[in-house]
Amino acid sequence: MIQHINVHEVLQQSVAGFYADLVTRPTGRAVRESIERALSAGTIAVMDFTGVGCLDYSCADEIVAKLVREKVRVLLLRGTSDAHRDAIEPVLLGHGLAALCERPDGTLDMIGAREPAAALLEELVAQQVAARTPGGAIALTAA
Amino acid sequence: MTRLVEVPAQFDDRSFDQFAAAYAQATADGERLLFDAHAAEWASPYGLVGLLAAGAAAGRRAGGSGGAERPLLTVPASAEVVSYWARAGFFREATDLFEVHGKVPKTKPATESEVLLPVTPVRAAEDVHVVVSTIQQRASAILAKELGLDPKATMGFAMALSEACQNIVEHAGSGGWVAVQAYNWRRKLARRVVVIAVADAGVGFRHSLEPSQAKRFGDRWGDAAALEAALIQGVSRFRDPGRGQGLAGIRRYLARWEGKVAIRSGTARIAIVPRWDDDVPLRDGLPAFPGSQVLLIIPEQGSTQA
Repeated sequence: MIQHINVHEVLQQSVAGFYADLVTRPTGRAVRESIERALSAGTIAVMDFTGVGCLDYSCADEIVAKLVREKVRVLLLRGTSDAHRDAIEPVLLGHGLAALCERPDGTLDMIGAREPAAALLEELVAQQVAARTPGGAIALTAA
Repeated sequence: MTRLVEVPAQFDDRSFDQFAAAYAQATADGERLLFDAHAAEWASPYGLVGLLAAGAAAGRRAGGSGGAERPLLTVPASAEVVSYWARAGFFREATDLFEVHGKVPKTKPATESEVLLPVTPVRAAEDVHVVVSTIQQRASAILAKELGLDPKATMGFAMALSEACQNIVEHAGSGGWVAVQAYNWRRKLARRVVVIAVADAGVGFRHSLEPSQAKRFGDRWGDAAALEAALIQGVSRFRDPGRGQGLAGIRRYLARWEGKVAIRSGTARIAIVPRWDDDVPLRDGLPAFPGSQVLLIIPEQGSTQA
């Protein structure tokens, strides 16, 4: 089963004040803890960043890296901007971790360390959660 | 008895050591301080937030020694300069720290194009949210139109600003200030730049990193080694392996846009020097100054020959 997380929604529920930006460690920690409460361990999770403004390195580490390291089996990022990925990529690389990014056309891209990222793609295909497209890319079979 | 600390006429990162030397000398005997800015002709955001840090440290000193007297500040004699400092948001913060002498115009911090972010206090994570939100509203057009940055770079700018401010919240042990301005930088580039200045009067990098790093550096340990560890090696005082990303992220962002970062803390200053600048990468043995002062400069894109 794939679990879905709307990051913007979690942000609104987790911290006081109406913020669209995922910045600062305390904010990241609050958001991650909310997500953790809703997620089963070892799950495949889709994390939707639509509506999130700025994501800084601290939050990228506190949320994405820690969830990948400690909670989920596969983390799939959706609705990310170039700037979001600019924050997430070095953080994951720094830990030797990886996640997957869904492109606007639905195909999946790797983010973070190459080897574990490739293994994640293979795992999704093996579980029939994702499949090869006629163009040779990989896309989710069910969102 | 009052000790005089003269504010340089052109008060920026280059004249800051002169100011720090005057501050260090004046604080030697615990007397009340008078910061004399009457001859000031111009101050960069770095100068303004640095002056506030000095005021905070001097006030803490006075309180700590049993006296309750805040340091004195004489405002610039030039009406134009004092008006600019007011529009930059300096006096809004200074009145809490100094006994201000001189006429200060009742001006709201500016919404003019030069002042992207007026002098803003940073004490907690909530303040960083406000700073990031404000800068995105104010700066995107200026970064794109005036500096020729890719509009997508605005988010990276906000990220860099966020990390610089968090440095205060997580490491200083006290509040600090941030200011962002755009101006023509005739001195080096003859082009426009955006300058982020962040200053606090907290414990500084050496003190913050000492428990985790001092042993590793041995005899070399000091302000310069602490700055090197933080900026070049990306170490943090926290044992969490994900820490230390902030300054590394700032470096990456500035490298992409040929920007500059300089951090002064205690008696040392470190800089990542772009090709258009001739700053010294690491200086030690500078006049001691409390806390940390961070300078980020992003130049207008195009040819950046010095």
